[in-house]
Amino acid sequence: MIQQSLVRELRAICGSYGVLDDPDALLVYESDALTAYRHRPAAVVLPRTTRETRESVAAIARHGLPIVPRGAGTGLSGGAVALNDAIVVGTARMNRILGIDAPNRRAVLQPGVINAELSVAARRHGLYYAPDPSSQTTCTIGGNVAENSGGPHCLKYGVTSRYVTGLEVVLPDGEVIRIGGQGRDAPGYDLVGLFVGSEGCFGIATEIEVSLLPVPESVRTLLAIFDRIEDAGRAVSEIMSAGMLPAAMEIIDGATIRAVEDSVFAAGYPTDAEAALVIEFDGLEAGLKGDAERARRRCLATGAREVRTAQDEAERAALWKGRKKAFGAMGRIAPDLLVQDATVPRTALPSVLRGISRISARHDLVVANVFHAGDGNLHPNILFDRRDAEELERVERASKEIMRLCVDAGGTITGEHGVGLDKKHHMTLIYGPDELNAMWGIRRVFDPGETMNPGKVLPDETQPVAAAVPA
Amino acid sequence: MSASPGSVAEIQALIRSAAAAGTPLIPVGRRSWPGAGGWAPKEGRALDTTPLKRIRHYEPADLTITADAGIGLDELDAGLAENGQWLPIDSPGAGSGTLGAAAATGGFGPLRQRYGATRDNVLGLEVVTGDGRLLRLGGRVVKNVAGYDLVRVFVGSRGSLGVITRVSMRLFPRPEEDRTLIYRVRAERALAMATALRRGHLPVAAVVLGSGGMEGGGGRAATLAARILGGGRGAREITGRVVAALGADPDEALRDEASRRFHDRHRQWEDDARLMVRLRALPDRLDEVVAIAQPVAAAVAGEIAADARNGVVRVKTPAAPAGRDEVVAALAGARGRVEALGGSLALDDAAGELGRRVGWVGRGGGAGGIVRRIKSLFDPHGVLAPRCPE
Ligand SMILES: Cc1cc2nc3c(=O)[nH]c(=O)nc-3n(C[C@H](O)[C@H](O)[C@H](O)COP(=O)(O)OP(=O)(O)OC[C@H]3O[C@@H](n4cnc5c(N)ncnc54)[C@H](O)[C@@H]3O)c2cc1C
Repeated sequence: MIQQSLVRELRAICGSYGVLDDPDALLVYESDALTAYRHRPAAVVLPRTTRETRESVAAIARHGLPIVPRGAGTGLSGGAVALNDAIVVGTARMNRILGIDAPNRRAVLQPGVINAELSVAARRHGLYYAPDPSSQTTCTIGGNVAENSGGPHCLKYGVTSRYVTGLEVVLPDGEVIRIGGQGRDAPGYDLVGLFVGSEGCFGIATEIEVSLLPVPESVRTLLAIFDRIEDAGRAVSEIMSAGMLPAAMEIIDGATIRAVEDSVFAAGYPTDAEAALVIEFDGLEAGLKGDAERARRRCLATGAREVRTAQDEAERAALWKGRKKAFGAMGRIAPDLLVQDATVPRTALPSVLRGISRISARHDLVVANVFHAGDGNLHPNILFDRRDAEELERVERASKEIMRLCVDAGGTITGEHGVGLDKKHHMTLIYGPDELNAMWGIRRVFDPGETMNPGKVLPDETQPVAAAVPA
Repeated sequence: MSASPGSVAEIQALIRSAAAAGTPLIPVGRRSWPGAGGWAPKEGRALDTTPLKRIRHYEPADLTITADAGIGLDELDAGLAENGQWLPIDSPGAGSGTLGAAAATGGFGPLRQRYGATRDNVLGLEVVTGDGRLLRLGGRVVKNVAGYDLVRVFVGSRGSLGVITRVSMRLFPRPEEDRTLIYRVRAERALAMATALRRGHLPVAAVVLGSGGMEGGGGRAATLAARILGGGRGAREITGRVVAALGADPDEALRDEASRRFHDRHRQWEDDARLMVRLRALPDRLDEVVAIAQPVAAAVAGEIAADARNGVVRVKTPAAPAGRDEVVAALAGARGRVEALGGSLALDDAAGELGRRVGWVGRGGGAGGIVRRIKSLFDPHGVLAPRCPE
């Protein structure tokens, strides 16, 4: 139970609408988009400025309570879940674009700005923000920074980390620091790079500087249909090794195609196909035709049964539709969905995909694959019903086997969704005690009292006995 | 006096015994930038990383490579070229250095706009920390968010936190065509042309400017070089648009080998520097930064070169100006003016006395406490002599 004195203090800082402590109002905050983990926070604070954030954090720290930063709650690893009666500090009211500096292709934002809104605002200047998570119409830039999010077009352009050039951060004790800014070039440790991907454990980003790119002049989109998913995987790796660099290469498998086509999102993909590969090139019109033609031929040579090409913006949207609506469609065919997120070397895609289908068959589960194929970033999604305890157990076993398979193929346990609560017990698959110890140490550099998003990322049992860093 | 350990285990042992004896170590590659911009002191025993130089994993179709830190970027490039791939690291001096040093210094060059900086392309590292622990960080896949991103803190740490022993990098297809358009014009015109290219949003891979001795000519004569990388039709198209945007035919158009050689020379421009000053501000302040750099160049009889896309202006002189009062005053004045623009002035190379009098990097970042704690986390006994300025 939260002390009323703290609630009063927080209301004095953020205004009466800025603090929620009514149990019903708190319900919305009990999970992120991975609804398997639910914990109701003790309260939610919604500051409007850095000053309000700093004062709120300091007040909560004085009361010795843990804090969980939160953006839009679209995270898929349980990162924004408030364990142990933590207080959520949400950025929903810090949603202003503070400035777009077009000559330097730069923008400065509050953390609660929605990813897609930045690109809309930048478009007036012929610019856009490159990292485009599939959740971009709802997720916040602050959440993207915390997760180092990716998206379909990160194949060509790289993930969030490359685009963040400066941060203002409220540390767990209420101190405010500025790192980077006006570019990320000043000599010294790359603290901005270190903060990006810290999953809310190092502090709250209250101001974010990002770099923007010119909107590409032209885009060419292809959709290749395959009878075997391994062939689609092979097409991806051949296109890359032939020296082409598409902006995006995305695969959805047969199970996903059928889910989409059975839903209100039907996109006209053939339902007897086992894979659909969306390929997109962008850049100057002059170079695109040749690239698209070469990619088309590669797909046919690796066994595509047909390759469709978009002629205009409407057709382009149609080709993308199946990919973009995949998660929405899956939500309709099973009560629960476990979204996995592992990366493997591109050349391992065909064998790993075969392995995943063997694992799902062995555990008698439906696994639907939707993924950023160009980056080797897989999302094998397990469809299930959590009310069935026995099935739940099979899901957990299969999930662990899939992780192990990806790691053994030279990959990693998360490509973009983060570790959060969900994957922290998989961390020992890829890191030994020294690496985990170093991560504990770096967490304590920022958060010596472990009050910022505690219980996330690092497995509890690896916690070193003595603090690694002298305070 | 230097140590040349032949294995990672030997590096660990060496660090541990240095810690016990209290003797500082300075990790080095091919020693093309031994002072590392004032981070590495002169005293301390060099720990040579060049004996470790094997390629550990290279699957061309993955467009990634893992190799030991001591391999030269030139050696690496030869192997990549056979597969039509490359590692677009063009930070100053990088070509002659090692892969480990490229990661440890974490710089960038004119190609950053197109390919990202070195830090954006390092996928994983193996590093021995100051307490002799071997950490394997990141991995060899292109997307990876498993755990805190410690790779980023070691990239650019210039030997102050650990000895990098192995590096995994993202690779890129080698561009089919490499073209450079060269304009020899007056300095003001060159700056105006750079502005036109920036505003035009043209996909030019790099825009560099030189004055003085760089490409011949003296006084106010300057060279602007626009580099275009890509496949046949695309490259031709961009070339046409660049010429249209600049309103003039180039004085010289270099293709492929000649174009690459031009940029290699530009990268090596500072190899003979005894004093190298790097000024930086947002790209649209380039004219002002060049104006700020001019009195510095005059005071040290130096030359100026600029990386227009990244807002970097460098002044170099192959002679060694002592800490004469007017040089100190010129540098201090320039630093004040560029910091007032929100930029910075760093001495990348300088005589120790000048470095001490002027200060190597200027205004600190205001996160000194965090910087100190990171240092003591990874180098608790202070064995690794290089220090990050706060
Ligand atoms: C349908 C769907 C599709 C998705 N597609 C993608 C995709 O393509 N690529 C991808 O990478 N992700 C994807 N995601 C995952 C998710 O959208 C991203 O992780 C996103 O960045 C989370 O943003 P958020 O604002 O919702 O953050 P939240 O979920 O609210 O929080 C995520 C984490 O960030 C921390 N945090 C939030 N704001 C701050 C701040 N200001 N300072 C410090 N820490 C903070 C939180 O503590 C938490 O740990 C998808 C999710 C869904 C539901």
